[in-house]
Amino acid sequence: MNEILEGVIKAFQLIFSGDPRVFEVTLRALLISGIATVIAIFIGVPIAMFIALKNFPGKVLAKGFFNTFIGVPTVGLGLILFIIFSRAGPLGFFGLLYTPTAIILGEAILIIPIVVSLTTTAIEAVDPDIMNQAKTLGASESQASITVLQEALSGIFLAGIASFNRAIAELGVAQMVGGNIEHWTDVLTTTIALETQKGNFALSIALAIILITIVFAITITVNIFQRRRK
Amino acid sequence: MTVIAELKGVTKTFDAITALDDIDLRIHKGEILALLGPNGSGKTTLLRILALIQKPTKGEIYLNNVKVTDKNIEQKRLETTLVFQRTLLLSTTVYNNIAYGLKIRKTPKTKIDKEIAKVLKLVRLEGFEKRQAKKLSGGEQQRVALARALILNTELLLLDEPTANLDPKNASVIEEIIATINREFKTTIVMATHNMFQAKNLPDRIALITDGKISEVGTPTKIFGSLSKTLASFAAVENTFAGTADITENGTTLVDIGNSVQIEATVQSNGKVAVFISPEDIIVSRRRFESSARNAFKGRIVEISDLGSVVRLRIDVGKIFTVQITKRSFNEMGLNLDTEVFLAFKASSVQII
Amino acid sequence: MVAVGTTIVIVVIAGTFVYLQYFAKRRLVVSTTTSLYDTDLLKAIEVAFETKYPIDVQFIPVGTGIAIEQARNGDVDLTLVHSPLQEKTFLQEGYGVNRKIIAYNFFIIVGPQNDPAQTNGLNATEAMKNILAYGRNQTNLNVKVWFSRGDNSGTHSKEQSLWKLAGFNYTEISAESWYASGGGKMGETLLKTNEKSAYTLSDIGTYLKYYEKDSLINLRSFVQETYELLNVYSAIAVNQTRHRHVNFNDAITFMKFLISEECQQLVEDFGKNDYGQSGRLFHAAVHLIPQNSTQQIAQWIKTYAFLENSECPPQYRDSRHPELYS
Repeated sequence: MNEILEGVIKAFQLIFSGDPRVFEVTLRALLISGIATVIAIFIGVPIAMFIALKNFPGKVLAKGFFNTFIGVPTVGLGLILFIIFSRAGPLGFFGLLYTPTAIILGEAILIIPIVVSLTTTAIEAVDPDIMNQAKTLGASESQASITVLQEALSGIFLAGIASFNRAIAELGVAQMVGGNIEHWTDVLTTTIALETQKGNFALSIALAIILITIVFAITITVNIFQRRRK
Repeated sequence: MTVIAELKGVTKTFDAITALDDIDLRIHKGEILALLGPNGSGKTTLLRILALIQKPTKGEIYLNNVKVTDKNIEQKRLETTLVFQRTLLLSTTVYNNIAYGLKIRKTPKTKIDKEIAKVLKLVRLEGFEKRQAKKLSGGEQQRVALARALILNTELLLLDEPTANLDPKNASVIEEIIATINREFKTTIVMATHNMFQAKNLPDRIALITDGKISEVGTPTKIFGSLSKTLASFAAVENTFAGTADITENGTTLVDIGNSVQIEATVQSNGKVAVFISPEDIIVSRRRFESSARNAFKGRIVEISDLGSVVRLRIDVGKIFTVQITKRSFNEMGLNLDTEVFLAFKASSVQII
Repeated sequence: MVAVGTTIVIVVIAGTFVYLQYFAKRRLVVSTTTSLYDTDLLKAIEVAFETKYPIDVQFIPVGTGIAIEQARNGDVDLTLVHSPLQEKTFLQEGYGVNRKIIAYNFFIIVGPQNDPAQTNGLNATEAMKNILAYGRNQTNLNVKVWFSRGDNSGTHSKEQSLWKLAGFNYTEISAESWYASGGGKMGETLLKTNEKSAYTLSDIGTYLKYYEKDSLINLRSFVQETYELLNVYSAIAVNQTRHRHVNFNDAITFMKFLISEECQQLVEDFGKNDYGQSGRLFHAAVHLIPQNSTQQIAQWIKTYAFLENSECPPQYRDSRHPELYS
């Protein structure tokens, strides 16, 4: 019990003394998950627009596919990506394994289903006649689609936030394709796992506090933002 | 007379349903043309095809003597605009809603600001620029939607039931605006309506639509003069009834419309007539009236439709009457299906056609 | 939008590729057994090395099994491991070259303070026999007496060979009720063992860190440090003829540093201050390798970790670097 208490006290000391390791790992985690989220939005939103706005055979199947992959186990995905990125794998040539890029791509793949799913729902919630309304005011097909997207913006924003939270909090992908190399691919989750294993509970607790704070702060901000809009 | 738009052999089918059946129609420059017909007769489809946001299954559309094709459709669409029956505003400010079409047309901001101030004055919403559009009342929203179309200053303006979901006050504001822009800006207007009163007073010409076909086109005088012969097909038009009229001792007219329902009107008339009462002119109450209204009936609610800010009721008093009340009074009265209610309207509100 | 997204992905990948190829500090990726990493020995070595060379050494701490697998795939340039049997296969397959023994220490068998299986003063095989007997005597099927890593790590592979040496069939006993296969890393396994007052096999480094430095566990060792518990660490470079892209030259540079006197002294002294009495975490091994060393520990290392009477038989050496073995 004492050790836990001691760990927590030391953890706060680390956070508030601006410990460089804590700072570095936090920054890297934010950066990697941030870029992953941006990529996932740029790829996921057009997919969602296609699914939501077009009628095509297999539409239900496509939706089901992305819904299912929201819950993909991160370790499973990590393993598949490990095999793909490995020098012996199909994308080995790029030498991406054990680089931050590998984590970015892995996390992007992990969260694209979340972006697609939530954005599809958001776009479908927009009145389908908005498209026609925009057109009669002079919009071209693509301008009208953008208008629909703007109407769904708060939903897409939410999708982005949910994705970012998932990305920054996941361990499997970052561990398996990043390798948790100090000063290179160590992010919050992998460092927490490693430092706990090494017995450095204070650092682990400090990083865990930061991780939880980030996730909570974002969620709460979004909630307030959403309520204001209504 | 210059023709601004023309439909040739336009047919539109949705799966097995034929919404429009071989329509030929010319719209003259500068006129107000009313499409008069019951709900589901194809008015909305016709307007959407004219607005170039729905493609006909068959047939051709000409705008300013140019045939509309897949190639020029986005360009031609700029020449006309449609105000939907159901108001669909964007979740942003009034300003951004109204500026939408001008921004697409790449109008400079200073000009947009000026035009918006002008159009807001026209629809009597001065100073509303920064308000959130979706937080406005139903009538105000409808006027924003109208302003959004008016600001484009298209030669051809299409209006789908512009007053259908409004209370009488907002409805008359909009009718005035329609008349004003037609008179002052020479805008050609095609409007769908199932309001006989509106059809009789606003337009230059009326096109009667039933079951996806245009049965007759002509001036209101001509159409209403011979309405009796087509009235059978108009049974579905709200609050329109055929009956026999007699002039009473005190100079009013009593029309027997069957099922022992008699309607008193101030206009004098005799013989076989049709009468129409605007839904907005009918008052609903849960208690018997003690008022000067000459027409008072007891009935039961048989249908309730929520139209946003107003609620449309169908009430069976022997004949079915359609009534529109605000949502607030609907809630206050605690109305339900099968509730017993009383209707009343003035003799002067009864139109004899 | 898809185009923008795809462009970002391509830019990020291409950027990484170009950065790593042309701009990054020379990067040496080393997969390592956790027991070397978790004690922070490698961090000390890295600091010493990087002050001398413009090379960025990056360690990936994993179990020996995975460390060798990564080396086989060419995902790392060098591997630091402690499992002579697995190392031999790795060399034979042609994926590894230039094996160098760099350090040794002893595994320890640890258990609760009261030593219920009575292992005090015994050698490893005798101790394990007693633990097994104690386990089989348990009437409650939920009581666990032995915790295993069960993860193909060097420690796990050592454990299996110890059971075999004690005369048991590992497959059979690992299925018995008193035997728990944790599948965790060393630290976790120690914590679990401590929690359940059981026995386990641990590397000395992790144990001392948990026991002495951080006081997280109460487990003690009663078993003698004998040949059977010997633990030998080697470095093996990934063969460039199998994986053209590996950073072979820097791997050799790092390997030379590992066997240098400076680094060997660092290994010998590491943890002296933190662990005082209980001895050192690691011992330098390079000076014991020459044929003429007669110390008992030198004999043990040769018997335990040599392959065909050599730390690296000539066919597994890269001819360009004979100085490694002179």
